[in-house]
Order: sequence, then structure tokens, then C-alpha cells
Amino acid sequence: MSTVGDAVFERLLQAGVTHAVGLPDSVTAPLMARFDAHSDTRWIPVTREGEAFAVAAGLWVGGRTPVVVIQNTGLLESGDSFRGVAVRMGVPLVTVVTYRGLAGMRGAGWTGSEPPDRSWLVRTDVDSTALLTEPTLRAWGVPYRLYESPDDVDRIRHTAEVERRPAVLLISRSGGTP
Amino acid sequence: MKKSAALDALVRHRTDEVVVTSMSVVRPWGRLSRHPLDFASADSAMGHTADFALGIALARPDRRVICLNGDGSMLMTLGTLVTAAGVGAHNLVLVVVNNGTYEITGNQPLPGGPGLDFAGMARASGFPVAVGFDDADRFEAALPELLRAPGPVLVDLRIEPEDEGPIQRRPDEAADYLQVSLETSARRLREALDALSP
Repeated sequence: MSTVGDAVFERLLQAGVTHAVGLPDSVTAPLMARFDAHSDTRWIPVTREGEAFAVAAGLWVGGRTPVVVIQNTGLLESGDSFRGVAVRMGVPLVTVVTYRGLAGMRGAGWTGSEPPDRSWLVRTDVDSTALLTEPTLRAWGVPYRLYESPDDVDRIRHTAEVERRPAVLLISRSGGTP
Repeated sequence: MKKSAALDALVRHRTDEVVVTSMSVVRPWGRLSRHPLDFASADSAMGHTADFALGIALARPDRRVICLNGDGSMLMTLGTLVTAAGVGAHNLVLVVVNNGTYEITGNQPLPGGPGLDFAGMARASGFPVAVGFDDADRFEAALPELLRAPGPVLVDLRIEPEDEGPIQRRPDEAADYLQVSLETSARRLREALDALSP
């Protein structure tokens, strides 16, 4: 059965992506495996997510077409690299981010679009990373889209290229709204 | 060793390599070199020069990339040593300008104090070549081989702290590569590398 990672890989391959840089999780492991196995692409594993944005920026300056693949908790870690390297260099960088905790958050009755208050951030049944993902992207002014179909890969790539900056594609295990 | 003595030596041996500078090396290198493949990692992110240079090296395996990194910057992304060795960045020469301080913010001491062994860290991370120098003549004598050796290569330059101040990008900066924005610099380097594609 085709996974979200397979579908995302096929669209990125068609778009000419050459390298994927990042740290995988259980959702993006198939995507990593496809980049690693294909003769026209390369998977570059890094030690921390902020490193991924700098390596990807260097790849782009060197004439390649990279994407970054990380989890939302790593996105929160990488704020200065995202801002200072990828954004300030104007890198049209598709960033695939696993939306960890999306299903649990929505199941608890929170949409994820607004900043949470303290009572939500300390709950044991909701992943605080999910609570902060979209509010952080909005605060940083980052264009983003929740993956619902393979066409969303093309849409987020178009956004990154037209706006000459990173744009985030949020993916979850179910591939769309849980 | 004086920073200027080490950089003078490198300028004499540099030919067609990309040179990425950071922190207290940005202005001194800019005073010595005006080359289309020079890039100042300034007005950028903290500690993300070595990994940026690694990306260029991976993109252009036909060309050497020399990264002149600060010691404080290197400490912020020590994981890049492991990443660079793991991906076999054979064309990366990572030079750590090791003065034991955060020079551009006033020479505050680094965690761990002076004498951090960056070459030892690089060897433990898998770098096939990792050497340290505290003498400019010895550094210069080794440079031809260091710029040819299959890497990644790490060079730990133990230099005296000086008083290089904060860096800004502005039109009246003496160094050409600080006169434009980071975005413009990135696009210029991309275009320069594209023009030199094999």
C-alpha cells in the first residue's frame, strides 16, 4: 500500500529534488528510504534539525534542489537556523514536517490553529508539540499547508518558489485530517 | 599565532576553492581577499557556518570548500563533525579559528576554557585528517597537502585573541562581501558556482 511518504517522494522526484536533509521518524522513514534508494536522489542524515536547514541552504547555493524532512518537535528546535539561514538567504525550500500529536490534539477538541493557554500545555493526554506547531509557523510568518493529497506537494513547492522562502508541508500518519 | 599570519598563509595558497568565513574571520579575510567564491556567513544564524559549508561541498564535489569557522561557532554545531564524516565530505576543509573566546562580543571565555582539542573531536567523529597548529610557518608548510588530502579535513588553528568587533552588512563596509545582503550574497555565490560548473 502506498504511504504518504511514497506519494510525497514521487511528487518531489518529478519536481527535480536532488537531496533530502533531516532526521526521520516513523512517518517519514519511508520517504527517507525512497530518497536513499533512488539513483537520482540522496538522503543526508544530520544530528539536529537546525543543521538540516543550513546544509540544505548550502546545497541550494551549490545549485542543487534540496528539501528538509523533520518532525515538528525538531522544527521548534531549529528556529534560528530556519530564520537566519533559510529565510534570510531566500532559499525556496520545501520543508516536510511530521505533525506529531495531531490526531490526539484534534481528538481532545483543539484545532491547533490558535496559541494554547497553560492548561492545554501541561495536559498529559495532548502532545504540546502539536499545540505549538501551527501557532509557531504563524508567528514566524511561514507559509504552510496540511497534506491532504499529492497535489499539496506541488502547491507548497510553488509557494516556496514564488515567495523565494521556505514553506512547510505538514504531514501526519493518516495523510490528512484525522 | 596571529590570526593575520594564518590568513596571509591561506591567501597565498588558495586558488579556486570556495571560502566561507564566520565571526571574527569575516572582516580580516575580506581585507585580504576579493574573490567571487568568497562568502561571509554574517548576519545569519548562530553557529551554522560549518553545516552551510558542508551543504556547498555536497552540492559541488568537484570543488574544495574551505570553511573558516570560529571556535564558539563550532561548539554550537559539533554534531556537524559527525555529519560531515558520515556523508564522506571529501572536499570539505574545516578550519577552526581557535582563540578560546567569543571574540566579536568582547572575548568572553568559551565553556571548557582554552585549549579545546578540536582536532581530537574531529578524529573521534571520523575525520581522516585532523591536525592542529600554533605556528603560522608550520601551518603554511602543511597547507598544500591539507588542500589536496581526501577529507573531510579539520585544521585547528590556535591563535591569539584579538579585538574584532561585531559584524554588520552595510554599503560602507570595507570588505566587498559585506556590502550586500545575505540573500544577495547567496545568489551571487550560486551564480558564480553555476558559471563554473563542469
